[in-house]
Amino acid sequence: MNLVGVSVKNVGRNKLRTLLTVLGIAVAVVAFVLLRTVLNAWTVGADFAAKDRIGTRNKVTFIMPLPKRYLETIRSVPGVVDSCYASWFGGKDPNHEREFFASMAVQTQTFFSVFDEIVVAPADKERWLGDRKGALVGDVLARKLGWKVGDKVTLTGSIYPGDWQFQIDGIYGATRKVVDRSSFFFHWDYLNESLPEGARQRDQIGWVTSRIKDPGRAADISQAIDKIFDDQEIQTLSMSERAMNMSFLGMLSTVLKAIDIISLVILAIMMLILGNTIAMGARERTREFGVMRAIGFLPHHIAISVLAESLAVGALGGCLGLFLAYPLVQGGMGRWLEENMGSFFPYFHIAETTALAAVGLALLLALIAGLLPAYRASRLHVIESLRRVG
Amino acid sequence: MIPIAYNLRSMAVRRTTTLASVLGIALVVFVLAAALMLSHGIKETLGRSGGSDVAVVLRKGSDAELGSSIETPTLALILSAPGVKRDEHGNALGLGEVLVVATMDKVGFAGVSNVQIRGVPDSVMQFRKGVQIVDGRRAQPGTDEVIIGQRLRGRFKGLELGQTFELRKNRPARVVGVFTHEGSSHESEVWADLDAVRAAFGRSGLFTAVRVQLESPSKFEAFEAVVEQDKQLGLDALREDRYYEKQSEGTSLFVTALGSVIAVIFAIGAMIGAMITMYASIASRGREIGTLRALGFSRRSILLSFLLEALALALLGGVLGVLASLLLGSVKFSMMNFASWSEIVFSFTPTPGILLTALVFAGIMGLCGGFFPALQAARISPVRAMRE
Repeated sequence: MNLVGVSVKNVGRNKLRTLLTVLGIAVAVVAFVLLRTVLNAWTVGADFAAKDRIGTRNKVTFIMPLPKRYLETIRSVPGVVDSCYASWFGGKDPNHEREFFASMAVQTQTFFSVFDEIVVAPADKERWLGDRKGALVGDVLARKLGWKVGDKVTLTGSIYPGDWQFQIDGIYGATRKVVDRSSFFFHWDYLNESLPEGARQRDQIGWVTSRIKDPGRAADISQAIDKIFDDQEIQTLSMSERAMNMSFLGMLSTVLKAIDIISLVILAIMMLILGNTIAMGARERTREFGVMRAIGFLPHHIAISVLAESLAVGALGGCLGLFLAYPLVQGGMGRWLEENMGSFFPYFHIAETTALAAVGLALLLALIAGLLPAYRASRLHVIESLRRVG
Repeated sequence: MIPIAYNLRSMAVRRTTTLASVLGIALVVFVLAAALMLSHGIKETLGRSGGSDVAVVLRKGSDAELGSSIETPTLALILSAPGVKRDEHGNALGLGEVLVVATMDKVGFAGVSNVQIRGVPDSVMQFRKGVQIVDGRRAQPGTDEVIIGQRLRGRFKGLELGQTFELRKNRPARVVGVFTHEGSSHESEVWADLDAVRAAFGRSGLFTAVRVQLESPSKFEAFEAVVEQDKQLGLDALREDRYYEKQSEGTSLFVTALGSVIAVIFAIGAMIGAMITMYASIASRGREIGTLRALGFSRRSILLSFLLEALALALLGGVLGVLASLLLGSVKFSMMNFASWSEIVFSFTPTPGILLTALVFAGIMGLCGGFFPALQAARISPVRAMRE
């Protein structure tokens, strides 16, 4: 049995303490994975956002609309494949007052060509396109509110007052994983024609989404669009979907930073626990180290044995933590978040980099935590350590 | 009972291990206290904006000022409702405002964010008595001059005394003053002339909300009944404090939930840390404990003594964590309020209740972590321990 083997055996000497330490590290790893996954879930929207789509809205504020005629102008900009307009409806199901979901009035003719990741059964698609009061809802939302194709539903408008009747014509899924599958889409024409003639909101659209040929030219095309409207009374602000998600994240930047810092604090706690255990173990074995030195082992042998023990405990804790993190973070919380807060967390999964980082950091910190005890143990004087009692 | 000085001295003997456990507990308490302080700060900032003797009138169905709209002539109807306070000249105390959101460039961070802009009539200073101009002067009514809340100052491009920003093309708005309002969320708003905002944001002839001063909080029911009676107008009256409470619900719940989940997970880790320390300190004190038992101390007093040691360890960490969290008092935390999609600057607000909660939490952590080790200590047989 070699030196490393001996030190790994040492791990089992004080079983209770090792168990507690491994548990402590595992808890820290679970917490680290959880926080990192929250961070990822937020930024994943930006990372996976369609690169070939740009949005155009009112330059001053998102609460003011654009004239509907802007669509044709944007569609004719070179590089734009197709454009679709939409308005935020802000509807609520009176039976589920507290459930938040996105409800939007969209231009149905161009909807599927611009949002090509939306998947609907062909029959449902036909029905929805032909039904003025039809609604297309995400499968996550439909499951949560118990809606089926053919159901009549009523939404209360917070921006457009009154009760609005719809019929569920189709339930959509998505080909890409970060798409919010709890949205409610319906015909913009239905909304517009229901507004009284001459109403302020009539013939106004919330924003225009355009699909472009070359994702690399997103910035150029955005600029070209905004330049067209620059001398008009209502100016526009265009950016790629990715840039839009990033700017949303900017509003949450302090929260993200706080979570980032806390996930590092967890690592500090983990190191304190592990360092403590290793230091205690090394101190209790002072005499043993003296014997080892006396029979010819060199100081660096002692140091290696302490470090190897620390690494073994760190590896055990890291792996156990990761093993627990998958069912807890991804299975339990992840599913709940995707179903209940799909608008914020459409995709809550542990990234491979997070898993690797968690185990890697556990090992690295174990190494650092073991350094001081290892150094101390290797510097022990042979005679003194043999004489020591306790 | 074994004197507590014995435990304190033992802790001092094992300085490094004690310090490591104390630091671990301190970190946990710090995170918990910080989350609770921020959550309270959010509630307080939004809570200070509202009074119980002020009523907010919105269009029915809209949960916030942003989505609401009320026609100008309706203002007179609302002001004539019963319960509205009148000044010495017999004028009803109330005002109609327009609240909008504008996109602005952040300073020191690449990107844009949303800022709330409130179009206010000239009488706003009489209505909100707590407003104080701390720098510059009041805005001239009917011009493009604006005043900004203290907490917005310097956070966005153009939002600094003497600077300008564009709300409409070629119509720069000039910042002429900076105001405070008792730390309320109004301090994260830009106040501009009512008609200038209406024109720039296509809100001509509209208010987003009407506020009235009530004669007393108890007059609200009578006021509400009359205002909501006319189904044609479709109005909804709320007490202002209740309105802001609803506005802060989502954001404050989010912070509390996130903070608590993190604190609980942390606590498990720190408890395990304390347990390891206690087990080790008991294992190496086997002989001492045996001696104590031989001297006639009962099992119960040994148990109590070690529980107290664990408690002392945890409380030391708790105090350290609480002290560190108090340092956050001067930190400003800019965060999106989910109800208005715009940024509001909050601060960490400590209260005696929060500090006590954090300390009690530390104490519980110490007792839970120390229980099993203390039990083991109490079970040590004096004869065997002394023979070791």
